[in-house]
Amino acid sequence: MEKGETFFEAIRQRGVSRRDFLGFCGLMATYMGLGPDGVGLVAKALETKPRIPVLWLHGLECTCCSESFLRSGHPLASDIIMTMISLDYDDTIMAAAGHQAEQIVEDIMRDYKGNYLLAVEGNVPLAGDGMACIVGGRPFKDQFAAAARHAKAIIAWGTCATSGCVQAAKPNPTKATPIHKLVSHVPVVNVPGCPPIAEVMTGVITYMLTYDRLPELDRLLRPKMFYSQRVHDKCYRRAHFDAGQFVESWDDEGARQGWCLYKMGCRGPTTYNACASIGWNEGTSFPIKSGHGCIGCSEEGFWDRGPFYERLPNMMQWGVESNADKVGLAAAAALGGGIAVQAGATLLKRIVTGRKLDAGVGQNSPDKEENT
Amino acid sequence: MKPRQPYTILPDTGTLPDVQMYGPGIRFWHWSNALMVVVLSVTGYFIGTPPPSSIGDTSVLYWMGWIRFIHLAAGYIFAVLAIMRLWLAFTAGGVSHQLFVPAIWRASWLAGFLKQIEWNLLLTDRPFRYIGLNPLGGVAMFFLFVIPGAVLILTGFAMYAEVTGHDSWQYLLFGWMSELFGNTLDLHILHRLAMWIVISFAMVHIYIAVREDILSRQTTVSAMLSGDRLYRD
Amino acid sequence: MSRTVTPNGFELDSSGRRIAIDPVTRIEGHLRIEVNVDGANVIRNAVSVGTMWRGLEIIMKDRDPRDAWAFVQRICGVCTGVHALASVRAVEDALAIEIPRNANIIRNIMHLALYVHDHLVHFYHLHALDWVDVVSALKADPKATSDLAQSLSPWPKASVGYFKDIQGRVKKLVGSGQLGPFRNGYWGHPAYKLPPEANLMAVAHYIEALNFQREIVKIQAVFGGKNPHPNWLVGGVPASINVHSAGAVGAINVERLNLVLDIAKMTHEFISQVYIPDLLAIASFYKDWAKIGDGLASRNLLCYGEFPSRANDDSNDSLRLPRGAILGGDLSKIHPVDLKDPAQVQEFVPHSWYRYPDEKAGLHPWDGITELDFRLGAGTRGGKDGAAIEAIDEGDKYSYIKAPRWKGHAMETGPLARMVLGYAMGRKDIKELVDGALKKLDLPLPALFSTLGRTAARGLEAQWAADRLLEDVNDLIAQVRAGNLDTANNEKWSPASWPAQTKGVGYCEAPRGALGHWIVIKDQKIANYQAVVPTTWNASPRDAAGAIGAYEAALLGTPMADPSKPLEILRTIHSFDPCLACATH
Ligand code: HEM
Ligand code: HEM
Ligand code: NFV
Ligand code: SF4
Ligand code: SF4
Ligand code: F3S
Ligand SMILES: [Mg+2]
Repeated sequence: MEKGETFFEAIRQRGVSRRDFLGFCGLMATYMGLGPDGVGLVAKALETKPRIPVLWLHGLECTCCSESFLRSGHPLASDIIMTMISLDYDDTIMAAAGHQAEQIVEDIMRDYKGNYLLAVEGNVPLAGDGMACIVGGRPFKDQFAAAARHAKAIIAWGTCATSGCVQAAKPNPTKATPIHKLVSHVPVVNVPGCPPIAEVMTGVITYMLTYDRLPELDRLLRPKMFYSQRVHDKCYRRAHFDAGQFVESWDDEGARQGWCLYKMGCRGPTTYNACASIGWNEGTSFPIKSGHGCIGCSEEGFWDRGPFYERLPNMMQWGVESNADKVGLAAAAALGGGIAVQAGATLLKRIVTGRKLDAGVGQNSPDKEENT
Repeated sequence: MKPRQPYTILPDTGTLPDVQMYGPGIRFWHWSNALMVVVLSVTGYFIGTPPPSSIGDTSVLYWMGWIRFIHLAAGYIFAVLAIMRLWLAFTAGGVSHQLFVPAIWRASWLAGFLKQIEWNLLLTDRPFRYIGLNPLGGVAMFFLFVIPGAVLILTGFAMYAEVTGHDSWQYLLFGWMSELFGNTLDLHILHRLAMWIVISFAMVHIYIAVREDILSRQTTVSAMLSGDRLYRD
Repeated sequence: MSRTVTPNGFELDSSGRRIAIDPVTRIEGHLRIEVNVDGANVIRNAVSVGTMWRGLEIIMKDRDPRDAWAFVQRICGVCTGVHALASVRAVEDALAIEIPRNANIIRNIMHLALYVHDHLVHFYHLHALDWVDVVSALKADPKATSDLAQSLSPWPKASVGYFKDIQGRVKKLVGSGQLGPFRNGYWGHPAYKLPPEANLMAVAHYIEALNFQREIVKIQAVFGGKNPHPNWLVGGVPASINVHSAGAVGAINVERLNLVLDIAKMTHEFISQVYIPDLLAIASFYKDWAKIGDGLASRNLLCYGEFPSRANDDSNDSLRLPRGAILGGDLSKIHPVDLKDPAQVQEFVPHSWYRYPDEKAGLHPWDGITELDFRLGAGTRGGKDGAAIEAIDEGDKYSYIKAPRWKGHAMETGPLARMVLGYAMGRKDIKELVDGALKKLDLPLPALFSTLGRTAARGLEAQWAADRLLEDVNDLIAQVRAGNLDTANNEKWSPASWPAQTKGVGYCEAPRGALGHWIVIKDQKIANYQAVVPTTWNASPRDAAGAIGAYEAALLGTPMADPSKPLEILRTIHSFDPCLACATH
């Protein structure tokens, strides 16, 4: 079999020197937390491996994860697509359509049984026989189930695929269901984010190609290398958080100084993502850097934890439309009222029964009164 | 291990001898615990709803840092105290176990419970005299303090695990909480709700304690101070 | 009944062979197209089926209006930001919030960057393969390609070696047998007309554009923190400006402004030196497509207007892309468009998978209803017992897309509509662009009303947007220099300051056309939220009277070389730049 162009060959073709290539490998190795000897590993893998077929399916989604993927600067998305993987099916950019497109899925499933990667953007609606998403005249759930069965591994791109995202927000009209809940025998890698950071997406792929194995995953199936710390842990505004310096309203003095956005509802303290360290669009910025709090877009059910601008969200996920402090204060106030009523009533009873309040300890028994 | 004292209703009339209710361990626990709850509630409230910003250099200012530090330190003490209290339930004898297991299966407990409700609704002028935790209060303590207290510790350490990282012992022990909820914002909500329950409990608890001390035929506040309960007729 | 004439004047004949294309690829979302061809393989009936639905309008209910932008932004990640913009405008309209001047400029800059980006990506990555035969590029002579490129544009990447390299890459790709995204393409199809050299040049620019597009959106990242899906704000923009004082590094400062200016310049260069020359060069080989794919284009066009030059002013004095409608192809009369008039914009559902109490009637979006009613008509072929749908029954409900109508008319919207409206209104900037291109291609004005015209209008608009982008960035810099720093208005931020009940509408010209969001707010929560989206207009199914939408109309009369390889259908459908996630939401 004739081997496909390897990544190294491809990038040499483009006039990139070996030195630049190794520089790139070093960058990738750092992002993947591999240390200095990781450079050689990344380089070797990219120099020698043939391309693995990838089927990239789309369920209920907004295609923003594809868009994000295309923004990758290192490696360039064009290099990944042309040289690292064989992106045989992806409705967003593939040349073929209709029958010719459907044929590809069947061919890959047949020719590469157990040896292709399945990338899924979006999720699977299960309501109404899955007919909220139809591909090739059939519910998407059928296409997905067939493609998932013999995949080597599945990458769930974006919060849509990992936990349902916006269409799964209450009341989830289509019963949009995340990928890992529908797969049993094939490993799933969750790459959450709405969308995920481009270089995280390409980093996960590069890792899998380099080591020929899945990245180490946490309890929520997320690669530890990118998702084990909160935005808050690496946020450059953290010093202002610790100092108690907060933006109190939009465009106030604190905002112009880049103070912490905690009081504007920032979800950085409960959001696991690499935004604060890797940054977006090749490090150009990330939400907090341009003045808006994190909305927690890589977290399960983040849509039902609004308003995004309140530190304490409504407890929508538990079906309560109020926040913890409102509930707590109401309970405390009710009890305070109860106390007042009881105390008042006690006093009243005393007055009515003609006894003095200062009757004193030990003198409050009717028996005793009779006795004295 | 000292003998356990079941909930007992005492004769309704006559002068009775004092009873030792709370040993020094329980009393120490009670008051340090009360202090920690106050410290934790105040600092916790400000963690969620910080005071207005101060102007100045971040290398000098560390308000939020201190508040969180005090909270976490008090949280540790609160948790250690809780373990100590649990241990006392096994070793201190007397009524020390009643906090965790209200004797709802006992007729006398139920009678006391009902009587206590009547008493609080001002339907009777004479509450029982008894050895043990006030049965109504006991139930309240269990549901409004013991359970939420446990929730505070679990969610508290699970949130702590977010700070200490995924390779910390906190994560090893409490990380499953994060998995249970998926979105750790829920831990904060739950933690905060539990705080309000405990605050509500403390309000009523203190009021009732003082009220009982004045109105009932037995000492309460002083019992938690000296350990001995005095009965009046 | 296989032969009908629709109320909007199109003859449909469904007696011929039925062909289905599903999935239609190189679009956003899930679209199915069915056509009937006659004996000569000419399309005589066309059916546009939106095959996905997520229920965003239902999900919006009872949410905080200030959060709405984030939800609806996720309607689409390709035209990322447009729904957010329409949404914050809708909320601001409902609550009578005026945004600061800088916020308006920054929103314009972000939106202009999207225009350029979206049009560029559409042309090279979603549309080009309809015109460019990748495999034929192997036959090109790199020297001739280099000469061709240099004759068209001063763009520096045009050496023989460069094109040789690119050709080598394509050779390897094809030689490996693993064609990746080019697998099963319609290579060698007789409808491909470019010489090998033009194909090679286009392939090179396909890759260049793929690499360059990620620069453009960094502008959105500067002001919104990320792209796709940057952050927006009711009352202004979240980014603050600080260029003089302490802490400036935590805000929009000189470095940030320099970055944006630099990207705007690079973008302008790429559009003028790569996109436009390629567009005109390719178009010159496909002039026959200036007569195919008209549909509604020469009749009914709709624009809501965009890029207010003055904050909070959406009159045509302020809007740099005008608002208005053209009916019956009469370019001399511009009809005013009022989004609040209950008789103007209405949506119908008799052929859509939704339920209305009275399906004869249309509903203005403020009164809009989104209630699912999925069913396949009795005439459907397939679709039962796990079998795939072979042919849908367009006599019954057949799409997740509602049928929007303006004063009862099906309308086309998008870059073509905007360029034509601007032209008809005598806007100098637009007239110059359009006339210039027509002259270069030696085509008359009516050539615009076609598949080729739609594709050309998009390119011209990208040029227009790149021009404005540079102007607006400079305008922002001038504002800052003049000491104007405000970016947000907090007056109505607190829900306590809102009326108990109010409603508003947010307009936007998205890359694909006229976009409107209608919001009803009750007790500080969203009581109703309705979006009527560009692709809802263009991909519309039939309405109560049977009038067809723009896609369906544009396909009629198209001759196909080989109906089993539906390249012609892809060309016309792609010329609209479909976005189905948008259309159905
Ligand atoms: C009576 C007991 C306690 C009360 C009333 C209390 C109260 C609170 C409150 C109100 C918050 C703010 C929650 C928010 O809005 O995000 C909080 C945060 C926290 N508490 Fe507690 N807490 C208690 C015990 C504990 C314990 C036992 C721990 C364990 C170490 C703990 C650890 C934490 C942590 C880690 C946070 C989060 C700090 C942050 O987000 O920066 N708490 N607590
Ligand atoms: C945050 C504050 C407080 C908390 C969480 C709290 C909690 C508790 C708990 C759990 C018990 C059961 C003791 C046991 O059996 O181990 C208890 C008993 C008691 N507490 Fe507190 N306490 C608080 C403050 C106070 C204060 C301020 C007073 C006095 C004014 C008080 C008076 C008492 C009394 C008198 C008892 C004994 C009740 C009885 O024997 O029925 N407590 N408290
Ligand atoms: N149709 C549409 Fe959009 C656009 N442009 C939005 O409003 O693409 Ni996703
Ligand atoms: S995760 Fe978010 S960005 Fe990705 S497809 Fe879903 S909605 Fe779009
Ligand atoms: S801005 Fe957000 S993530 Fe950053 S320190 Fe403040 S709360 Fe944490
Ligand atoms: S909103 Fe999303 S992009 Fe990052 S900073 Fe927060 S996880
Ligand atoms: Mg709608």
